[in-house]
Amino acid sequence: MKWFKNLVGKSEQISDKSLEIIQIKFNNFLEILHNNNAVLKNISDMEEKLQGEYLFDLNYIRSTVSEIRKGVVNIINNMISLGGDGYKRLKEYYARIDAEITRILPGGRPIEEDDYIRFFDRILRENAYSVGSKNAQLGEMKSRLALPVPNGFAITAWAYKHFIDRNDLQHKISELILPLNIRSYEDLQTVSRRIQKIVTEAPIPDDLAGQITQSYKKLREKNPKARFALRSSAIGEDTEYSFAGQYRSVLNVRAVELLESYRAVLASKFTPQAIYYFLSHSISEDELAMCVGCIIMVSARSSGVIYTRNPVNAGDDCIVINSIFGLGKYLVDGTISPDIFRVSRHDKAIRESSVFFKTRKLEMHPDGGTVDVELSEEEGRKPSLSDREAIRLAEYAAKIEEHYGCPQDIEWAIDHDGEIYILQTRPLRVITPPKTEIEVDVSGFEKLAEGGYTICPGAGGGPVHRISSVNDLQDVPNGVVLITPHSFPGIVTVMGKVRALIAETGGMASHMATIAREYGIPAIGDLKDTGMLNNGDMVTLDATANAVYRGLHDDLIDKRKPDLDLFEDIDIFNILKRISGHIAPLYLLNSKDAEFLPENCRTFHDITRFCHQRAMEEMFYGASELKNKDRFSSRLQSEIPLAVNIIYIDKEIPEKEKHRTVDENRIESVPMASFWRGVKKEGWPAPSRPPDMKGIFGVFATTMTRTEDDRFSEKSFAILSKEYMILSLRMGYHFSTIEAMVTEQENKNYIRMEFKDGGATIERRIRRIRLLTDILTKAGFENFSKGDFLDSRLSYQDEESTKDALFLLGRLTVMTKQLDMALSNDAIARWYTNDFLKKLGMPVDGD
Amino acid sequence: MIAGKRAGDIMIPLDHYPHIPYWFSLRQAMAEIENTQIEVEGQKSLPRIVLVFDEKYNLMGMIRRRDILKGLQPDYVSAKSGNTRKLFNIEVDPNLMEMSYDILIKNLKERAEQTVSKVMIPITHTVDYEDHIMKVIHEMVTYNLSLLPVLCVGEVVGVVRSVDVFHEIAHHIL
Repeated sequence: MKWFKNLVGKSEQISDKSLEIIQIKFNNFLEILHNNNAVLKNISDMEEKLQGEYLFDLNYIRSTVSEIRKGVVNIINNMISLGGDGYKRLKEYYARIDAEITRILPGGRPIEEDDYIRFFDRILRENAYSVGSKNAQLGEMKSRLALPVPNGFAITAWAYKHFIDRNDLQHKISELILPLNIRSYEDLQTVSRRIQKIVTEAPIPDDLAGQITQSYKKLREKNPKARFALRSSAIGEDTEYSFAGQYRSVLNVRAVELLESYRAVLASKFTPQAIYYFLSHSISEDELAMCVGCIIMVSARSSGVIYTRNPVNAGDDCIVINSIFGLGKYLVDGTISPDIFRVSRHDKAIRESSVFFKTRKLEMHPDGGTVDVELSEEEGRKPSLSDREAIRLAEYAAKIEEHYGCPQDIEWAIDHDGEIYILQTRPLRVITPPKTEIEVDVSGFEKLAEGGYTICPGAGGGPVHRISSVNDLQDVPNGVVLITPHSFPGIVTVMGKVRALIAETGGMASHMATIAREYGIPAIGDLKDTGMLNNGDMVTLDATANAVYRGLHDDLIDKRKPDLDLFEDIDIFNILKRISGHIAPLYLLNSKDAEFLPENCRTFHDITRFCHQRAMEEMFYGASELKNKDRFSSRLQSEIPLAVNIIYIDKEIPEKEKHRTVDENRIESVPMASFWRGVKKEGWPAPSRPPDMKGIFGVFATTMTRTEDDRFSEKSFAILSKEYMILSLRMGYHFSTIEAMVTEQENKNYIRMEFKDGGATIERRIRRIRLLTDILTKAGFENFSKGDFLDSRLSYQDEESTKDALFLLGRLTVMTKQLDMALSNDAIARWYTNDFLKKLGMPVDGD
Repeated sequence: MIAGKRAGDIMIPLDHYPHIPYWFSLRQAMAEIENTQIEVEGQKSLPRIVLVFDEKYNLMGMIRRRDILKGLQPDYVSAKSGNTRKLFNIEVDPNLMEMSYDILIKNLKERAEQTVSKVMIPITHTVDYEDHIMKVIHEMVTYNLSLLPVLCVGEVVGVVRSVDVFHEIAHHIL
């Protein structure tokens, strides 16, 4: 507000230059309003789509998000121009929210210029678009949560782009992928081989190679005994899409293997399973920049995966820890069935420990790479975790979940000294159990197998089809119940074909399990006894109750279906729903709250709300608080005894004071004229008080303090232009701000009213807010209320409708003056609502 | 014990009692009375009086049912003052039977839009929060009042009604 004070404070006279500055600021303000309008329109449209009645595709989501991003960025930039550098920190909050959206919606925007290398201590989760989600979360956990995360650095998306551009690879890759039929595993393999060959044969540009090597040396100098892993961290990985196990990690990488390993990880973006995964999720390949993390390896005594919620039973109150000996690869690829520890979320007590025979483990080889180690009967039957370690892990997990605000899938390791390390975290998809427990009569069914763990609940039936390796994938027919000895890369490519899935080894923490849940395939793991299930036998797998029956049982399949809305089950719908959660909700409502701060902006809507409010204050309150405002404002002359000062933003200010008046019949602002017509229609509600009734008792029937009484006499204030108005009205003890734009263009028109305070007790004031909400809702306004605060909005109406709505607001403003005093109960509030509706010529409920 | 009862013990807190600004209409005052139920010790009743405040929440007066009815009466049946003769002696005039009911209602509706300030009565007596119930009874009987504002440290905090005083006494006598 300094700008405003400066310009009017220097001189008694308002110079032309001063007006010019106001006008420039006003243009920033109008830009904010225009963009705000556009953003809110897109938000409304998005919410309409979420009602489930309209079809939309990923392109709709991308274009809408892109429009909203553009609008919010413009709002922030104009806010900085209008209010100064103090608002620059909004960019930080924007970036944080935007990073969350990017986690859900991969791609959709160009890769931004960045360094080729970023060490983890320079990475936060908002950098996900630059370093990939996996790296970003490691940086986040290290910096913001101070959790034990191995050190390392990220080779960024910008580096990947450099590699692709310098070798002119993009169009070659696109040409191969475009005609691909993903239902043919053979085609997938062929295309995959060709692209991977192109990538692995392309040289790494010298500047990039130099930086990777230097960074590796730097890391090594600080950790001379350490081993290193190169891990994929693709843009979009570990987001709404897990891409679980689709990409490659190279373990125990030595300096000589560094660049070759980097290329190998880049090439893993094009494995058959990865291509299938991104194409089956309608994700374009060029959106998935492959970032890589070079991370100090933990020489793991034990490793595993934590689910902060039970993924197949949202009602389960435990944190689930899966654990094996050695490196975690054998767990996530399903080679080994892990020990399972269930720890209470509340008191962190161990509720259940299931220790299995772990036949082998994977360890780092001294000369690079890894080595498979067979475990003795005695070793293999030992628990891979102590109770104390399990509890400690559960505590870390709870902290991580709390930080991210949603269930997490966390990878961890414990070294030979007993130190815990967090290696990865990503959102966990939790299957909601059916709302009602349905009894299914299976007494007449012939049970062929039972046991194992539910990976994804539900039931599916079809002929049994067994596979034993990746080579069998191309022969998997449609509609089968697939039996595999364990998970292996590539199994994702048949997810579109199978009705149900049985893994003989591996539990719910394998990558295959994650993928099965994402595709909604009924699946069980660790079902040992499948001897009765022969190729071609028609069977039904009940993955909820862990049993396999002979024959196809449609009734069972039908009853076991998850209790999901058909439309909501569609992936695209869920993406929009998740994204909308970071855009549409409004948490910042009342500008008088102490919490109304940029750092509390949780959504884009919050940012627009915050900027709109502050812009209004910069324009408006800055002016109204000035002591000498009478010198540059005009007084509204009206039969209504309400003191209103007016500043015309698009007109010269008359030099002489006597000329500084505005006739109420000649208001040169379309919105203000319409509003004032409404005020006049009702007329001033309080006629002169009876002369013999003055000052009988100086008592208050209100929560107001006596000092607040002074506010009663505050003047009202308006800033106007031909098409715009912002009016701050003090009506007794309530305060309203009405802002409106009325033009010939529908898309620019809007009205926004804030209504707050009052003189009566809070219950009565809230009743008045309800009354206003009911009436304004019927008039087509969108309303947000909290306590005795109301924020109402109407937009995208034609000129006449907007003027009519302002006329209505004018009337309502007068009608509700100190009405709160009279609203002693809900019945009387209803009576007033209906009475006003009748008076306003609007339909009354029940009439 | 009745001996211990004070005005503050039997009053209805101000916030539970209907009140309106002085520029509200008779019609709105009627709505307040018709739509408000006052519950005291499980017994529900309609208020017979609405308190009237000014724009700064100072208590100005009160309006009783009979004041509202008085305000609704057409001029031709009521004397403006003690010295003015009524046009009709309505108590015996047989022409009343011939009056159009529709016109009568229309007339009443028009008059119902008058502000309450025109017919409300001023507050003439109050009791203090700590005043003994016998003082409350004395004020009511002496000045023919059915409701008294209760003050506490100079501010109105509630009202005490004759019905509640009666109920309190009856409880001990019956």
